[in-house]
Amino acid sequence: MKKVYKVAGHKFSIVMPDDYPAWNEMQNYEPFLTDDADGCIFAAELIENMPDTSSKQLVVIGNKHVDMPRSELYEWNGKWLMEVAPTLEAPIRLCMITDKSFSKVQFRVLGCIRFSVTTMLMMMFSFSTASMDTLLIHASVTMNGGKGYLFLGKSGTGKSTHSQLWIKNIEGCELLNDDNPALRVCDDGVVRVYGTPWSGKTPCYRNLDVPVGAIVDLHQAKKNVIKQQSLPEAYASIYVSFSGYRFIKNMADGYHATNAKIVSSVPCYSLDCLPNPEAAFLCYDTVTGKR
Amino acid sequence: MRTRKGYTLRSLGKESILVAEGLDAVDFSRMISMNESAAFLWKAVESKDFDAETLAHLLQEEYDITPEVAQKDVAALLDSWKEANIIED
Repeated sequence: MKKVYKVAGHKFSIVMPDDYPAWNEMQNYEPFLTDDADGCIFAAELIENMPDTSSKQLVVIGNKHVDMPRSELYEWNGKWLMEVAPTLEAPIRLCMITDKSFSKVQFRVLGCIRFSVTTMLMMMFSFSTASMDTLLIHASVTMNGGKGYLFLGKSGTGKSTHSQLWIKNIEGCELLNDDNPALRVCDDGVVRVYGTPWSGKTPCYRNLDVPVGAIVDLHQAKKNVIKQQSLPEAYASIYVSFSGYRFIKNMADGYHATNAKIVSSVPCYSLDCLPNPEAAFLCYDTVTGKR
Repeated sequence: MRTRKGYTLRSLGKESILVAEGLDAVDFSRMISMNESAAFLWKAVESKDFDAETLAHLLQEEYDITPEVAQKDVAALLDSWKEANIIED
Protein backbone atom coordinates (compact mmCIF):
# COMPACT_ATOMS: atom_id res chain seq x y z
CA MET A 1 0.00 0.00 0.00
CA LYS A 2 1.17 3.48 -0.82
CA LYS A 3 0.10 6.59 1.06
CA VAL A 4 0.96 10.18 0.34
CA TYR A 5 1.15 12.85 3.02
CA LYS A 6 1.50 16.60 2.76
CA VAL A 7 3.29 18.42 5.58
CA ALA A 8 4.09 22.15 5.44
CA GLY A 9 3.14 22.06 1.75
CA HIS A 10 5.63 19.27 0.98
CA LYS A 11 4.35 15.90 -0.20
CA PHE A 12 6.04 12.58 0.47
CA SER A 13 5.04 8.98 -0.10
CA ILE A 14 5.54 5.77 1.84
CA VAL A 15 5.09 2.21 0.60
CA MET A 16 4.67 -0.71 3.02
CA PRO A 17 2.78 -4.03 2.70
CA ASP A 18 -0.99 -3.72 3.32
CA ASP A 19 -0.85 -5.85 6.44
CA TYR A 20 2.28 -4.23 7.88
CA PRO A 21 1.49 -3.37 11.53
CA ALA A 22 3.03 0.10 11.30
CA TRP A 23 -0.10 1.33 9.49
CA ASN A 24 -2.07 0.76 12.71
CA GLU A 25 0.20 3.14 14.60
CA MET A 26 0.07 5.98 12.11
CA GLN A 27 -3.17 7.73 13.12
CA ASN A 28 -1.12 10.87 13.67
CA TYR A 29 -0.49 11.00 9.90
CA GLU A 30 -4.18 10.78 8.93
CA PRO A 31 -4.85 14.56 8.96
CA PHE A 32 -2.01 14.96 6.45
CA LEU A 33 -3.19 12.37 3.90
CA THR A 34 -3.54 13.54 0.33
CA ASP A 35 -4.58 11.79 -2.90
CA ASP A 36 -2.28 13.78 -5.09
CA ALA A 37 1.14 12.13 -5.43
CA ASP A 38 2.54 14.70 -7.87
CA GLY A 39 5.79 16.38 -6.91
CA CYS A 40 6.72 14.34 -3.85
CA ILE A 41 9.95 15.55 -2.23
CA PHE A 42 10.84 11.99 -1.28
CA ALA A 43 9.56 8.44 -1.66
CA ALA A 44 10.05 5.90 1.13
CA GLU A 45 9.80 2.17 0.71
CA LEU A 46 9.97 -0.56 3.33
CA ILE A 47 12.29 -3.42 2.42
CA GLU A 48 12.45 -6.89 3.91
CA ASN A 49 16.15 -7.47 3.51
CA MET A 50 19.06 -5.11 3.41
CA PRO A 51 21.62 -5.46 0.64
CA ASP A 52 25.12 -6.44 1.71
CA THR A 53 26.50 -3.19 3.11
CA SER A 54 29.65 -4.61 4.68
CA SER A 55 31.80 -2.24 2.60
CA LYS A 56 30.18 0.76 4.30
CA GLN A 57 32.43 3.56 5.51
CA LEU A 58 31.58 5.30 8.77
CA VAL A 59 31.13 9.07 8.41
CA VAL A 60 29.86 10.09 11.82
CA ILE A 61 28.09 8.83 14.91
CA GLY A 62 25.57 11.33 16.14
CA ASN A 63 24.51 11.01 19.74
CA LYS A 64 23.97 13.54 22.46
CA HIS A 65 22.26 12.14 25.51
CA VAL A 66 21.69 8.72 27.03
CA ASP A 67 17.94 8.87 26.48
CA MET A 68 18.22 10.29 22.95
CA PRO A 69 18.35 8.28 19.74
CA ARG A 70 21.74 7.35 18.37
CA SER A 71 22.34 7.54 14.64
CA GLU A 72 25.28 6.26 12.65
CA LEU A 73 25.89 7.65 9.20
CA TYR A 74 27.82 5.67 6.63
CA GLU A 75 28.68 6.13 3.00
CA TRP A 76 27.93 3.02 0.94
CA ASN A 77 27.82 2.48 -2.79
CA GLY A 78 27.56 6.23 -3.50
CA LYS A 79 24.63 6.54 -1.11
CA TRP A 80 24.02 7.38 2.52
CA LEU A 81 23.36 4.53 4.91
CA MET A 82 21.86 5.50 8.25
CA GLU A 83 21.45 3.19 11.20
CA VAL A 84 19.41 4.39 14.14
CA ALA A 85 18.85 3.14 17.69
CA PRO A 86 16.19 4.53 20.05
CA THR A 87 18.74 5.32 22.77
CA LEU A 88 22.49 5.62 23.16
CA GLU A 89 22.90 2.05 24.41
CA ALA A 90 20.14 0.31 22.45
CA PRO A 91 20.71 -1.90 19.39
CA ILE A 92 20.06 -0.61 15.87
CA ARG A 93 16.34 -0.70 15.05
CA LEU A 94 16.17 1.22 11.78
CA CYS A 95 18.34 1.06 8.66
CA MET A 96 17.91 3.51 5.80
CA ILE A 97 19.59 3.74 2.43
CA THR A 98 19.06 7.00 0.62
CA ASP A 99 20.44 8.72 -2.44
CA LYS A 100 22.56 11.75 -1.66
CA SER A 101 19.79 14.17 -2.50
CA PHE A 102 17.44 12.48 -0.02
CA SER A 103 14.71 11.95 -2.61
CA LYS A 104 14.42 8.18 -2.36
CA VAL A 105 14.82 6.00 0.70
CA GLN A 106 14.62 2.28 1.33
CA PHE A 107 14.27 1.41 4.97
CA ARG A 108 14.27 -1.73 7.05
CA VAL A 109 12.69 -1.94 10.49
CA LEU A 110 14.24 -4.30 13.03
CA GLY A 111 11.97 -3.32 15.91
CA CYS A 112 10.33 -0.37 17.68
CA ILE A 113 8.05 0.05 14.67
CA ARG A 114 6.49 3.38 15.58
CA PHE A 115 9.82 4.91 16.55
CA SER A 116 11.48 3.61 13.40
CA VAL A 117 8.87 4.78 10.90
CA THR A 118 8.57 8.18 12.59
CA THR A 119 12.33 8.69 12.81
CA MET A 120 12.76 7.73 9.15
CA LEU A 121 10.05 10.14 8.02
CA MET A 122 11.25 13.01 10.21
CA MET A 123 14.86 12.64 9.10
CA MET A 124 13.90 12.41 5.44
CA PHE A 125 11.52 15.35 5.74
CA SER A 126 14.12 17.52 7.46
CA PHE A 127 16.96 16.61 5.07
CA SER A 128 14.98 16.76 1.83
CA THR A 129 13.49 20.18 2.67
CA ALA A 130 16.79 21.71 3.85
CA SER A 131 17.10 23.78 0.68
CA MET A 132 13.39 24.59 0.47
CA ASP A 133 13.16 27.35 3.09
CA THR A 134 11.74 24.83 5.54
CA LEU A 135 12.90 23.93 9.03
CA LEU A 136 11.55 21.13 11.19
CA ILE A 137 12.18 22.62 14.61
CA HIS A 138 12.01 21.44 18.20
CA ALA A 139 9.39 23.71 19.75
CA SER A 140 5.95 24.00 21.27
CA VAL A 141 3.59 26.30 19.36
CA THR A 142 0.54 28.12 20.64
CA MET A 143 -1.79 30.08 18.40
CA ASN A 144 -3.43 33.35 19.38
CA GLY A 145 -5.12 36.00 17.26
CA GLY A 146 -4.33 34.14 14.05
CA LYS A 147 -0.61 33.93 14.74
CA GLY A 148 1.70 31.23 16.01
CA TYR A 149 4.10 31.70 18.91
CA LEU A 150 6.99 29.25 19.12
CA PHE A 151 8.59 28.34 22.42
CA LEU A 152 12.10 26.94 22.13
CA GLY A 153 14.38 25.53 24.77
CA LYS A 154 16.43 22.55 25.76
CA SER A 155 14.66 19.33 26.64
CA GLY A 156 13.06 19.73 30.06
CA THR A 157 13.06 23.54 30.03
CA GLY A 158 9.28 23.77 30.03
CA LYS A 159 8.22 24.52 26.45
CA SER A 160 5.00 22.50 26.78
CA THR A 161 4.41 23.93 30.23
CA HIS A 162 4.70 27.47 28.88
CA SER A 163 2.23 26.67 26.08
CA GLN A 164 -0.19 25.30 28.69
CA LEU A 165 0.23 28.47 30.77
CA TRP A 166 -0.84 30.54 27.76
CA ILE A 167 -3.78 28.23 27.01
CA LYS A 168 -5.07 28.19 30.61
CA ASN A 169 -4.59 31.87 31.38
CA ILE A 170 -4.97 33.79 28.15
CA GLU A 171 -8.17 33.86 26.19
CA GLY A 172 -8.17 32.64 22.61
CA CYS A 173 -5.11 30.38 22.79
CA GLU A 174 -4.88 26.96 21.17
CA LEU A 175 -2.04 24.47 20.81
CA LEU A 176 -0.82 23.94 17.23
CA ASN A 177 1.97 21.44 17.93
CA ASP A 178 3.88 20.47 21.06
CA ASP A 179 7.22 19.16 19.80
CA ASN A 180 8.19 19.38 16.13
CA PRO A 181 6.37 21.97 14.05
CA ALA A 182 7.75 23.10 10.69
CA LEU A 183 8.72 26.67 9.89
CA ARG A 184 8.57 27.74 6.28
CA VAL A 185 9.50 30.99 4.59
CA CYS A 186 6.76 31.26 1.98
CA ASP A 187 7.06 32.79 -1.48
CA ASP A 188 5.59 36.07 -0.24
CA GLY A 189 8.37 36.23 2.38
CA VAL A 190 6.00 35.52 5.27
CA VAL A 191 7.29 32.99 7.79
CA ARG A 192 4.55 30.49 8.65
CA VAL A 193 4.44 27.71 11.20
CA TYR A 194 2.80 24.39 10.30
CA GLY A 195 1.40 21.62 12.43
CA THR A 196 2.93 18.22 11.65
CA PRO A 197 2.36 14.54 12.49
CA TRP A 198 5.18 14.86 15.00
CA SER A 199 4.18 16.29 18.35
CA GLY A 200 6.15 14.36 20.97
CA LYS A 201 4.09 12.99 23.84
CA THR A 202 1.14 15.30 23.17
CA PRO A 203 -1.36 13.94 20.63
CA CYS A 204 -1.80 17.20 18.72
CA TYR A 205 -1.54 16.51 15.00
CA ARG A 206 -3.15 19.50 13.35
CA ASN A 207 -2.95 20.13 9.65
CA LEU A 208 -3.04 23.89 10.10
CA ASP A 209 -0.69 26.78 9.55
CA VAL A 210 -0.48 30.40 10.66
CA PRO A 211 2.01 33.25 10.25
CA VAL A 212 4.60 33.33 13.01
CA GLY A 213 4.04 36.09 15.59
CA ALA A 214 7.26 35.54 17.53
CA ILE A 215 9.84 32.98 18.55
CA VAL A 216 10.72 32.79 22.24
CA ASP A 217 13.71 30.92 23.64
CA LEU A 218 12.92 29.80 27.20
CA HIS A 219 15.31 29.43 30.11
CA GLN A 220 14.40 28.36 33.62
CA ALA A 221 15.10 31.13 36.14
CA LYS A 222 14.20 32.47 39.54
CA LYS A 223 12.28 35.40 38.08
CA ASN A 224 10.53 36.32 34.87
CA VAL A 225 12.53 38.53 32.49
CA ILE A 226 12.06 38.92 28.74
CA LYS A 227 14.24 40.65 26.19
CA GLN A 228 14.36 40.87 22.42
CA GLN A 229 17.30 39.05 20.85
CA SER A 230 19.91 40.43 18.47
CA LEU A 231 20.19 38.71 15.08
CA PRO A 232 23.11 36.45 16.11
CA GLU A 233 21.36 35.53 19.38
CA ALA A 234 18.15 34.62 17.56
CA TYR A 235 20.12 32.70 14.92
CA ALA A 236 21.89 30.72 17.65
CA SER A 237 18.63 29.93 19.47
CA ILE A 238 17.15 28.48 16.29
CA TYR A 239 20.40 26.78 15.26
CA VAL A 240 20.47 24.61 18.38
CA SER A 241 16.75 23.78 18.07
CA PHE A 242 16.97 21.59 14.99
CA SER A 243 19.32 18.89 13.87
CA GLY A 244 20.78 17.86 10.56
CA TYR A 245 23.99 16.73 8.94
CA ARG A 246 25.63 20.13 8.79
CA PHE A 247 28.87 18.83 7.32
CA ILE A 248 26.90 18.13 4.13
CA LYS A 249 27.45 21.49 2.53
CA ASN A 250 24.17 21.76 0.56
CA MET A 251 22.23 20.93 3.67
CA ALA A 252 24.11 23.40 5.87
CA ASP A 253 23.75 26.12 3.22
CA GLY A 254 20.01 25.47 3.04
CA TYR A 255 19.54 25.53 6.80
CA HIS A 256 21.58 28.72 7.05
CA ALA A 257 19.55 30.49 4.35
CA THR A 258 16.28 29.56 6.05
CA ASN A 259 17.48 30.49 9.52
CA ALA A 260 18.83 33.85 8.30
CA LYS A 261 15.51 34.67 6.60
CA ILE A 262 13.52 33.71 9.69
CA VAL A 263 15.53 35.82 12.15
CA SER A 264 15.51 38.83 9.85
CA SER A 265 11.71 38.90 9.62
CA VAL A 266 10.36 37.38 12.85
CA PRO A 267 10.85 39.07 16.25
CA CYS A 268 12.76 36.70 18.54
CA TYR A 269 12.97 36.87 22.30
CA SER A 270 14.75 35.29 25.22
CA LEU A 271 12.55 34.58 28.25
CA ASP A 272 13.91 33.74 31.67
CA CYS A 273 10.92 32.26 33.41
CA LEU A 274 9.24 30.46 36.24
CA PRO A 275 6.44 28.00 35.48
CA ASN A 276 3.75 30.46 36.59
CA PRO A 277 0.93 32.47 34.95
CA GLU A 278 2.94 35.71 35.34
CA ALA A 279 5.54 34.31 32.92
CA ALA A 280 2.80 33.73 30.35
CA PHE A 281 1.34 37.22 30.86
CA LEU A 282 4.75 38.89 30.58
CA CYS A 283 5.56 36.90 27.45
CA TYR A 284 2.16 37.42 25.82
CA ASP A 285 2.07 41.16 26.57
CA THR A 286 5.59 41.66 25.19
CA VAL A 287 5.45 39.55 22.04
CA THR A 288 1.99 40.74 21.01
CA GLY A 289 2.90 44.36 21.72
CA LYS A 290 0.18 44.75 24.37
CA ARG A 291 2.68 46.39 26.68
CA MET B 1 49.06 29.87 14.00
CA ARG B 2 46.10 28.64 11.99
CA THR B 3 42.33 28.77 12.12
CA ARG B 4 40.79 25.54 13.37
CA LYS B 5 39.13 23.27 10.85
CA GLY B 6 35.41 22.62 10.71
CA TYR B 7 34.12 26.18 11.02
CA THR B 8 32.08 28.07 8.46
CA LEU B 9 31.65 31.83 8.46
CA ARG B 10 28.01 32.68 7.79
CA SER B 11 26.78 36.18 7.06
CA LEU B 12 23.77 37.52 8.83
CA GLY B 13 22.87 40.97 7.56
CA LYS B 14 25.83 43.19 8.39
CA GLU B 15 27.15 40.75 10.97
CA SER B 16 28.83 37.40 10.60
CA ILE B 17 28.65 34.30 12.69
CA LEU B 18 31.19 31.51 12.83
CA VAL B 19 29.51 28.14 13.21
CA ALA B 20 30.87 24.65 13.71
CA GLU B 21 29.57 22.72 10.72
CA GLY B 22 32.45 20.43 9.88
CA LEU B 23 33.17 16.96 11.16
CA ASP B 24 36.49 18.32 12.50
CA ALA B 25 34.95 20.97 14.70
CA VAL B 26 35.87 20.70 18.36
CA ASP B 27 32.75 22.13 19.93
CA PHE B 28 29.54 22.06 17.90
CA SER B 29 27.51 24.19 20.28
CA ARG B 30 29.86 27.13 20.17
CA MET B 31 29.06 30.02 17.90
CA ILE B 32 31.06 33.19 17.62
CA SER B 33 29.58 36.36 16.25
CA MET B 34 32.03 38.56 14.36
CA ASN B 35 31.90 42.17 13.35
CA GLU B 36 32.85 43.27 9.85
CA SER B 37 36.58 43.63 10.45
CA ALA B 38 36.91 40.35 12.39
CA ALA B 39 35.04 38.53 9.63
CA PHE B 40 37.28 40.16 7.02
CA LEU B 41 40.40 38.94 8.83
CA TRP B 42 39.00 35.44 9.38
CA LYS B 43 38.24 35.07 5.68
CA ALA B 44 41.67 36.38 4.73
CA VAL B 45 43.63 33.90 6.86
CA GLU B 46 41.30 30.90 6.93
CA SER B 47 43.27 27.64 6.49
CA LYS B 48 46.56 29.54 6.16
CA ASP B 49 49.47 30.09 8.49
CA PHE B 50 49.40 33.53 10.00
CA ASP B 51 50.58 35.57 12.95
CA ALA B 52 49.67 38.84 14.63
CA GLU B 53 51.75 40.76 12.13
CA THR B 54 49.86 39.24 9.18
CA LEU B 55 46.58 40.36 10.68
CA ALA B 56 47.80 43.86 11.60
CA HIS B 57 49.09 44.34 8.08
CA LEU B 58 45.78 43.25 6.54
CA LEU B 59 43.83 45.50 8.88
CA GLN B 60 45.99 48.50 8.09
CA GLU B 61 45.59 48.03 4.35
CA GLU B 62 41.84 47.54 4.51
CA TYR B 63 40.88 50.23 7.00
CA ASP B 64 43.56 52.89 6.61
CA ILE B 65 44.59 52.97 10.28
CA THR B 66 47.94 53.51 11.99
CA PRO B 67 50.18 50.51 12.77
CA GLU B 68 49.70 51.16 16.51
CA VAL B 69 45.91 50.99 16.30
CA ALA B 70 46.07 47.91 14.07
CA GLN B 71 48.38 46.08 16.49
CA LYS B 72 46.21 46.93 19.45
CA ASP B 73 43.02 45.77 17.70
CA VAL B 74 44.66 42.57 16.52
CA ALA B 75 45.96 41.73 19.99
CA ALA B 76 42.45 42.05 21.42
CA LEU B 77 40.98 40.02 18.58
CA LEU B 78 43.53 37.23 18.95
CA ASP B 79 42.79 37.03 22.67
CA SER B 80 39.11 36.51 21.93
CA TRP B 81 39.84 33.94 19.21
CA LYS B 82 42.14 32.03 21.59
CA GLU B 83 39.53 32.13 24.31
CA ALA B 84 36.92 30.82 21.86
CA ASN B 85 39.35 28.06 20.88
CA ILE B 86 38.91 28.71 17.16
CA ILE B 87 42.64 29.02 16.37
CA GLU B 88 45.56 26.73 17.09
CA ASP B 89 49.32 27.14 17.20
